[in-house]
Amino acid sequence: MTAVARHLAIARAIAAKDLRAELRGRQAVTSTLFLAALTLLIFGFALGPDRASLAAAGPGLLWLAVILSGVLAVGRLHQLEMEDGAFELLALYPVPRAAIYLGKAIGGLAAMLALGALVLPLTVVLYALDVASALPGLVLVIGLGALGFAAIGTLYAGLTVRLRAREVLLPLLLLPVVAPLLLAAVSATASLLAGDPLGELGAWLQLLIGYDMAMLLAGGLTYGLALEE
Amino acid sequence: MPPTTIHVRPTGVPDETTPAVETHDLARLFRRSPALAGVTLRLEAGRAIAVLGPNGAGKTTLLRILATSLRPSFGMAAVDGIDVAEQPEEIRPRVAFLPHATGLYDDLSAAENLRFAAQLMGLPGPDRAGRVGAALDRVGLTADRDTRVSAFSAGMRRRLALGRLLLGHPRLVLLDEPYAALDAPGMALVDALLDEWRSAGATVLVATHADERLAARVDGWLRLVDGLLAEVGGKGASGEVMTGAALQPWSGALPEGSQP
Repeated sequence: MTAVARHLAIARAIAAKDLRAELRGRQAVTSTLFLAALTLLIFGFALGPDRASLAAAGPGLLWLAVILSGVLAVGRLHQLEMEDGAFELLALYPVPRAAIYLGKAIGGLAAMLALGALVLPLTVVLYALDVASALPGLVLVIGLGALGFAAIGTLYAGLTVRLRAREVLLPLLLLPVVAPLLLAAVSATASLLAGDPLGELGAWLQLLIGYDMAMLLAGGLTYGLALEE
Repeated sequence: MPPTTIHVRPTGVPDETTPAVETHDLARLFRRSPALAGVTLRLEAGRAIAVLGPNGAGKTTLLRILATSLRPSFGMAAVDGIDVAEQPEEIRPRVAFLPHATGLYDDLSAAENLRFAAQLMGLPGPDRAGRVGAALDRVGLTADRDTRVSAFSAGMRRRLALGRLLLGHPRLVLLDEPYAALDAPGMALVDALLDEWRSAGATVLVATHADERLAARVDGWLRLVDGLLAEVGGKGASGEVMTGAALQPWSGALPEGSQP
């Protein structure tokens, strides 16, 4: 087995384990999805019934809902490891650190894509968005945004999971770092929905791709620190 | 597929000249307080050694450093002549560690937990199912193989954690309070596994309070007090024993007159 194939096999085993455990302990999945839906509803109430202002706020609120619930999702995937000291043993398997990171990040990506799949139709309904022609582009933007968030969220969740105040520290540390992602994803979404009148969509997509690659690289190189005590 | 009989064996023949475990002035601090305060010892390969001492003596810290779970703050530790801080990735395939916490996933079944461990240990696919089945059989959990671990008692969890150690062929087995939460047959299982590992040539280190039970089953023993080596005895273990003032608990206060 080549080194790459071995990395991928380990990552797949970790991601499959995480998703299986997460789907069986349904409580966490349900509450994460519920938080995303609730965020959209509450902002909808706050903005009032004006159709134009709802549609204008739609792209921003879609991403706020994804990211706020995403903090819970990536944090949860690491808390699973803390239930009975599993994180310590995970670090002791004779496998590359980058493969462990990749596995956790794939689990995070799956959770983020599930969030996107719920949030997108809900935003369309609640915020009266017209997505018919922009749907393929929106799926791409959500995919890129989910990947970037999973990449950096996994690293930060790993670095904070042993800390006593992890529930507070994770959003405090993570949200500032995802600001570029939020900016690019919201702008790309708004641009897509408006039919890209300024021709800026390509630049935002490039920023998203660059962000994803940088965060994956940072995670692969530094996640080992999270496994050290 | 019916489970096959499991036989514990090390990955290679221990080198006679290289000690299985060697430490020099090994120290580990937690928030400036020493859990290990300078331990120098040498353990021969293929021996079963008890690590004794009261709570807080540094037994778990010693085991966790040898398992590469903790890095030493000062000094060095080596397994099979390999420095734990320099080349932990070389040591991990050689070591099987049973920590205090079982490290199991509650929402996975017993078999799924072991299958996951087998995957990460790099067991080839065709061997995996047989090895997992054999390990479950050896620890008496075949009937519960598809039960989620969240439904297990503390003793069953301990058995399953022991089963995980049977998936590989370790050179060094580190057991932290292996008798904890086990009933009489469970304790007998630990005794039997200990004998099997030793007769297979692996070195076994057992941190425990159950020293009377273990006395007949180990070759040697060492006793830690306040992070220092207080006694060493039997076959296969040697080290620099601290006596008298060195064994007084470290208060963390500077001696009088040393204040600026």
